[in-house]
Amino acid sequence: MPERMPGRIKGATRLLIWTVVALALGLAPLGLPPFAMTLLTEAVILGLFAMSLDLMFGYTRLVSFGHAAAYGFGAYACGWMLLHTGMPLLFAVFAAGLLTGIMAIGVGWMCTLATGVSFSMLTLAFAQLLYAISFKWTSVTGGSDGLAGIPRTIGPFGFAALASKTGFYYLALGCLVGGFLVCLALVRSPFGAVLRGIRENEAKTTALGYNTRLYKIAVVAVAYGLGGLAGALYAPFAGFANTELLFWLLSGQVLIMVIVGGAGTLIGPVLGAAFFMLMEHQLSALTEAWALYFGLIFIAFVLFAPQGIWGLATTRLRHAAPRP
Amino acid sequence: MSTLALLLTQFVNALSQSALLFFLGVGLTLIFGLMRIVNFAHGALYMLGAFVGYSLSSWSGNYWLALAGAPVLVGLFGAAFEFSILRRLYRRDAHAFLMVTFGLALVVGEAVRLTWGSDALQVAAPPLLSGVIFLLDEPFPVYRLFLAATGIVVAVAIWQFLERSRLGLLIRATSQNADMASALGVDIKLIRSCVFGIGCGLAALGGVLAAPLVTASNGMAATVIIDAFVIVIIGGMGSFLGSLIGALLIGFVQVFGNYYAPDFALAFMYLVMLAVLVVRPGGLLGKEA
Amino acid sequence: MPLLELDGVTRRYGALVALDQVAMTVEEGEIRAVIGPNGAGKTTLFNVITGTVRPTAGRIRFAGQPIAGLPSHKVCRLGISRTFQITALFPEMSARENARLAAQARHPRRWQPFGGARIFNEAQMRADAALDQLGLSGIADRPAGLLSHGDQRLLEVAMAMAQQPRVLLLDEPTQGLSVEETEQAVDTLARFLKASRMTVLLVEHDMEVVFRLAHRITVLHRGAVIADGAPDQVKADNRVQDAYLGGFE
Repeated sequence: MPERMPGRIKGATRLLIWTVVALALGLAPLGLPPFAMTLLTEAVILGLFAMSLDLMFGYTRLVSFGHAAAYGFGAYACGWMLLHTGMPLLFAVFAAGLLTGIMAIGVGWMCTLATGVSFSMLTLAFAQLLYAISFKWTSVTGGSDGLAGIPRTIGPFGFAALASKTGFYYLALGCLVGGFLVCLALVRSPFGAVLRGIRENEAKTTALGYNTRLYKIAVVAVAYGLGGLAGALYAPFAGFANTELLFWLLSGQVLIMVIVGGAGTLIGPVLGAAFFMLMEHQLSALTEAWALYFGLIFIAFVLFAPQGIWGLATTRLRHAAPRP
Repeated sequence: MSTLALLLTQFVNALSQSALLFFLGVGLTLIFGLMRIVNFAHGALYMLGAFVGYSLSSWSGNYWLALAGAPVLVGLFGAAFEFSILRRLYRRDAHAFLMVTFGLALVVGEAVRLTWGSDALQVAAPPLLSGVIFLLDEPFPVYRLFLAATGIVVAVAIWQFLERSRLGLLIRATSQNADMASALGVDIKLIRSCVFGIGCGLAALGGVLAAPLVTASNGMAATVIIDAFVIVIIGGMGSFLGSLIGALLIGFVQVFGNYYAPDFALAFMYLVMLAVLVVRPGGLLGKEA
Repeated sequence: MPLLELDGVTRRYGALVALDQVAMTVEEGEIRAVIGPNGAGKTTLFNVITGTVRPTAGRIRFAGQPIAGLPSHKVCRLGISRTFQITALFPEMSARENARLAAQARHPRRWQPFGGARIFNEAQMRADAALDQLGLSGIADRPAGLLSHGDQRLLEVAMAMAQQPRVLLLDEPTQGLSVEETEQAVDTLARFLKASRMTVLLVEHDMEVVFRLAHRITVLHRGAVIADGAPDQVKADNRVQDAYLGGFE
């Protein structure tokens, strides 16, 4: 009986924390000034982006140096659809995400021809390829200028509320929560158990009879799809899409968000994204070198706190409900 | 231009390009051969070499000083990084190295941007090497010939160093069996710092040599790390001869590819890398099975 | 009925001949030990059977079906499970989860996107049964990386069993175990093998283990079969004694 109590209490604490967070996020537009809402929306979008990488890196140990490919592709796809077709916002966003996921099946197929560092290099090479294409294919991507003036088309089905600042925030939040639930379900499923097997000992997983390559391709497709969804949200949010969204710097930054936030936890990377935005906003006011400091912080985390912020925080709450 | 002259021009261009790629690749492969680390920062260090070279040459007005100084400075920096940070990671899994060198690449990249700005910087080649000489009645840039020649000289020098010198022997021994070498009294920690430093210095050498040709720019690091990796993958991780072959192959592919189909150059590189990884995952002369 | 048949199986690595025209037949329910000095080709033999490595030449038949050259995950699914010389587990998962993942690999509906809980339950039942067979139910919830060496070796066998194989390939199951651990492990294995009547191919260095468990012994030397028969026969064989340089008691 005494053994059960601490678990129960910790479980209750968790529920409380979740409720507070949900209320805070849900009611944010009522309390926060517009510029803070913009930051929060961007943090939510980045959070989804980082979480998508966590599926690949945190749960399957597939190191991607080219995740910006998903973000940029989603952004350009959505932006193009909103600019050149009459497609309403909601459809464009999800269509772009889906397209990214489909493209990623091919990417995954190619990249998983290799393992280890070679895999990582292939992901980077692919992102660089998209980056180069975005400069050259001016007719579609706008070249070095990118796509500008992306509208938040309402479309025939209404959803007018989505176009407003607050509405868009709820759309992004909805995608984050939805994405989180999808990832959580995936990670707790038999499929997720195999991903963890691949992470801990891929050779053994293959020896058990799993076609690990197929699993890796599948997780790449889902990760890129969700990353593409994040990018697709960014385009109408910012109103533009440009080559920076495909640059390796962004790939690096999202990887940092995952590791600093806490890989393999889904929530950690979202926190990492928020932390990153906070740093960017606060430090960039102080110094131009904030990205450099962020890189140094990253190295420090890899050396001394590889479990990340969320990992450090949850070690205290270790006796709570089993991890996903 | 006659066909022969055209071919000869492209041949020289390809050789000079291969030389630059060789400097990049040989450092990466040496580091991997000894320490099983893939130094993701290699491209950034190449870039750093170019920018440091720019500063040294504009401060002193002497390119040769830059040529000598940049590799040494960057090499020392690399050795210091290995000593202070990488050393802590030898007991951890391979991913830790990749992450940390990746972090280094980002930090160096940002440091370069902050110190020298975002614009591409022109580095002047020394008067001796500017201009052209005439072969078969066609003009050849002296600088490219210089690059090609330097590549050959350095390749031979490294080869002899590895084969004949005492340090080279120690490096080869430690690459094959670090525990054994340690048991025989070799200070493997020192060797590791040395090799990492040398590898970084070689990358920087490539950068400072490339600068008069391609200008020093922020985008260099990302393109060049892929090139370096492709070379080493083709030639085989850890193989000196492999990095030479890889550099020659890619140099020629790039130059001739650029001439005949410039828009597809990057896609072509990607395909070559894919093809090699499919057919021989360990590279042509690689150490991995 | 012969379950596993090898005929002229050869594997070359350049000039090195790792396996040289190996021929052997393993009957259903038989426990066959494969022994030989270091470098004799025992692990290569396993690798060739499980599809980790392709044979350069030769035929391998499993229950009448040719399997030489098939990829390892396909071979596994046909009913051949193996353990490794060097312990290969999922260290951060519990023993139960390790075995469950092994069992899950054979679940017919594991690709289903829904109903994960049911799949987990069914796999867990098989896993728990296998753990029980190997006497590991007591430590089932401990992370595999924290188990004693002997338990880890037995867990590997349990994982292989959780896949309900028709043939079990055990690669040096007592490798790295102390004398006591070996005795305990062999006791458990002997009990389990008797009860399950599994067809087993066993690579072992420890002769006492071999004589306790095996029905027949195949001796490899430099990749070739030099003797094949009942334990007493093999013990007395001169060629075998020569190969081991001094024989054994």
